[in-house]
Amino acid sequence: MADILMQEELFEEEDTQKGKYLTFNIGTEFYGIEIKYVTEIIGIQVITEVPELPEHIRGIINLRGKIIPVMDVRLRFKKPFREYNDRTCVIVVDIKDISVGLIVDSVSEVLNIPEQDIVEPPQINKGFNNRYIKKIGKVGSDVKLLLNCEKLLTEDEIVDINEAL
Amino acid sequence: MSGQYTNEPMLDIYIFETSQLVEQLEETVLSSERCGSYSSDAINEIFRIMHTIKGSSAMMLFNEISNLAHIIEDMFFFLREEKPINLDCSALTDFVFESVDFIKLEIEKIKNGDNADGEATYIIDKLKVYISQLKSNNNIIIEGKNTKQESVKTQYYISQSSSDKQLYKYNYKAKIFFEDGCEMENIRAYTIIHNLKSITSDIKHIPEDIIENDDTIQQIREMGFEIIFRANQSYDEVYEFLMKSLFLKELMLTELHDDGDFIEKSIKAKEASDSIKMPIIQPNQSVKQNNNTDSQGSAAQGFISVPVGKMDKLMDLVGEMVIAEAMVTQNPDLKELNLDNFNKAARQLRKITSELQDMVMSIRMVPLSGTFHKMHRIVRDMSKKLNKEVELVIIGEETEVDKNIIEHISDPIMHLVRNAIDHGIEGKDDREASGKNKLGKITLEAKNAGNDVVILIKDDGKGLNKQKILEKAKQNGLLHKPEEEMNEKEIFNLIFLPGFSTKEAVTEFSGRGVGMDVVVKNIGKVGGSVSVDSILGLGTTITMKIPLTLAIVDGMNISVGKSCYTIPTIAIKESFRPKASDSIKDPDGNEMIMVRGECYPILRLHQLYKVKSAREHFHEGILVMVENEGKNICLFADELLGEQQVVVKTLPTYIKKIRKIVGLSGCTLLGDGSISLILDVAGLININV
Amino acid sequence: MKKILIVDDAAFMRMAIRTMLEKDDFEIVGEAENGLQAIKKYKECKPDVVTMDITMPEMDGLAALEVIMQYDPNAKVIMLSAMGQEVMVKDAIIRGAKTFVVKPFKEDHIIKTINKVLAL
Repeated sequence: MADILMQEELFEEEDTQKGKYLTFNIGTEFYGIEIKYVTEIIGIQVITEVPELPEHIRGIINLRGKIIPVMDVRLRFKKPFREYNDRTCVIVVDIKDISVGLIVDSVSEVLNIPEQDIVEPPQINKGFNNRYIKKIGKVGSDVKLLLNCEKLLTEDEIVDINEAL
Repeated sequence: MSGQYTNEPMLDIYIFETSQLVEQLEETVLSSERCGSYSSDAINEIFRIMHTIKGSSAMMLFNEISNLAHIIEDMFFFLREEKPINLDCSALTDFVFESVDFIKLEIEKIKNGDNADGEATYIIDKLKVYISQLKSNNNIIIEGKNTKQESVKTQYYISQSSSDKQLYKYNYKAKIFFEDGCEMENIRAYTIIHNLKSITSDIKHIPEDIIENDDTIQQIREMGFEIIFRANQSYDEVYEFLMKSLFLKELMLTELHDDGDFIEKSIKAKEASDSIKMPIIQPNQSVKQNNNTDSQGSAAQGFISVPVGKMDKLMDLVGEMVIAEAMVTQNPDLKELNLDNFNKAARQLRKITSELQDMVMSIRMVPLSGTFHKMHRIVRDMSKKLNKEVELVIIGEETEVDKNIIEHISDPIMHLVRNAIDHGIEGKDDREASGKNKLGKITLEAKNAGNDVVILIKDDGKGLNKQKILEKAKQNGLLHKPEEEMNEKEIFNLIFLPGFSTKEAVTEFSGRGVGMDVVVKNIGKVGGSVSVDSILGLGTTITMKIPLTLAIVDGMNISVGKSCYTIPTIAIKESFRPKASDSIKDPDGNEMIMVRGECYPILRLHQLYKVKSAREHFHEGILVMVENEGKNICLFADELLGEQQVVVKTLPTYIKKIRKIVGLSGCTLLGDGSISLILDVAGLININV
Repeated sequence: MKKILIVDDAAFMRMAIRTMLEKDDFEIVGEAENGLQAIKKYKECKPDVVTMDITMPEMDGLAALEVIMQYDPNAKVIMLSAMGQEVMVKDAIIRGAKTFVVKPFKEDHIIKTINKVLAL
């Protein structure tokens, strides 16, 4: 019984989360990330560097005793590094049981973007970091780039995993 | 890793208990085989274990396991009751082991979340044939006994039944149906008969042979159970009495006025009731052996089993608490305040947290006995197949190590024991020819040595032949040094190199070229080391040194630039401030240093890990000499920060997935909440060679 | 709440029964893993119903049943048996067990049995 109740609650929760996006910006662009992935948002922390990692993985942080890696989304998108300041935020996401902190320039708000306002990204735009963008959301006259979280974390690492095996 | 656990407590405990029972069973069977016979205690125990496994597995709907356990239970029931002579112990043992292996495999599947889809039919069929053979061999002897007993029974009954016949007023006939699916209808029927005896002693029933004959179950289900009896109670009273019976679906009670009918039927039913009335009370052995076992029983009750995952979590939490405690008591806000009471309370807190930490550590410690005793089976199976006689001696099995470590050393020990039997112990003839006892001996010994546990695997076999090792090493291109310059230890150590195998023929058990090097690698993974000693003709001893625990290490914190690293104290030989002139460079630019006439390579951590703003001038930093498996290097760092016990955490999975970082074994949290990376000394040394 | 004492040498079985019964408002006042413990616990906890396994080490369920029935002739003991134990179940009935349940059993079956025994 208890299990069934729990599941129902989960469904409800997922339901209320549907269509909600946490938006943040990097430079002048606005991005959106599905709220269900987000566990918390914290200010920038002391980062312990870990050697031999790709540049965009800045290192690890101590999140109340839990050690999680942090990724600079700016660097992930091959944009120039920018010093962290008091607007810099770490969005802690939990994707397929992997916790990662995403470092972004600043967090703006949680938006409800209805399905009809979400469109496929243009396919021709090659210069852009298209592969991490799943969809594009229209909010008024603004455009939010909706991230494909799983790709953000995996994609080119897959090569390394295979090597490790 | 078997550290994972399901969220289903029932399944967890099923897996845990069944594995434990199987282990216990294996041991009993092995020791029975060693004595050459199954004692009645052993038979009872095996019977009981199989009975339990049968019941639990059936509850969990693992029917194949349940069926297999059932038939073994039957077999041991037969052994217990009939005590057949000329029992072939070895064959019996093989059957039991085959079944045990099946159950183990299924349990392993269940543990990994797979379907327990194995089919035990072929074993069950074999067992059925074996049991019927046992029975037919035994029948001739048994039959005589049985008839004797029966005649005694009948006599006893007749003397009792012929009394009181005329005392009862009414005759009744009852027909009863039991609820569907209530099982063992024959015994339910018997229960009614038994209860009826409180009001009458004159009872007949159909079917008759309800206890002896299982077919009556079906009969009662289909046709109902009919009772004819006399009593003094009125119809209503009898009706009520019978209605109290449990699982009654239908009761038809009629009063019989025709006495003739009653007598006629009672004659038919008579013989049957003879045998029912005679309860087969077996001499109750269990009551006899009761007296001194109480303490044992309650001791066993004091244990609970906990999934390893939860223990790890508890360990983590305690580790975090230690850090949190430091963050509170050493909080910079408190500086320069006069806080006598606070400091007192803080000291108390520190004392409790450290006791808690010790306690959690001790909970994680498990004795090696389980791992050691598993080897009995290996020794048995192998010596049987290789036609050698080998005895396994176990010393110090109570020695404890961390649960995590046990998991890592079980396979290496097994491998070494196999090696010892296969390559170490000679064949019976060879042993006799060289004046040795025909029975080879393998000793498995464990003992504490400071922060380590030492495990010895000793055999009294033919020992290592240095010449052969050298030849083999040369063939495989493993010699990097002139033979003459190698001492005994170095020659023996060649067997640990990858691609070394002295035995020409690849056997089922060991060999295949993978072997000792894998053992060394696995032991190395838990921070242990392996060494070998041998005397030609007398035997070989393999020594494994493993740390007590992986979860906490004594570490030295060092700084390099802004980064902090922790070196396990056990690996540190010394540290010193070098002079700029101490550094020597070889033509390739590799840095070295002379210490007391020996030359050691230098590894600059800031270079290796590309740490910015670290001290680069030799005289500004410090050198830490570390050792692993006899090899030394000097690590160059900015400065020493101090020694402390640290709780080892693994690096986040995400990072481990991206890359395996050479020289890092994990990370830890320091008192101020910052993170230090734990250096893997063995890994660092290997970069340099 | 009715008090139940569970006697079984298998921890799995004890847990299975406990889980089943606790869902249905029974109070498990004790668990015992052999006959000796069962007797001790019976005297301590005075349960309304005992579920008693037959095959156990140290002292089996039949012997424990006998002692418990001597101590408390009104004790309500339900035997837990498996197919093949007919003779022992019969023996238990003679010694005063109220009824028996055959393993493997389902939740509703054991609860029904206990309720019926309680109503006796």
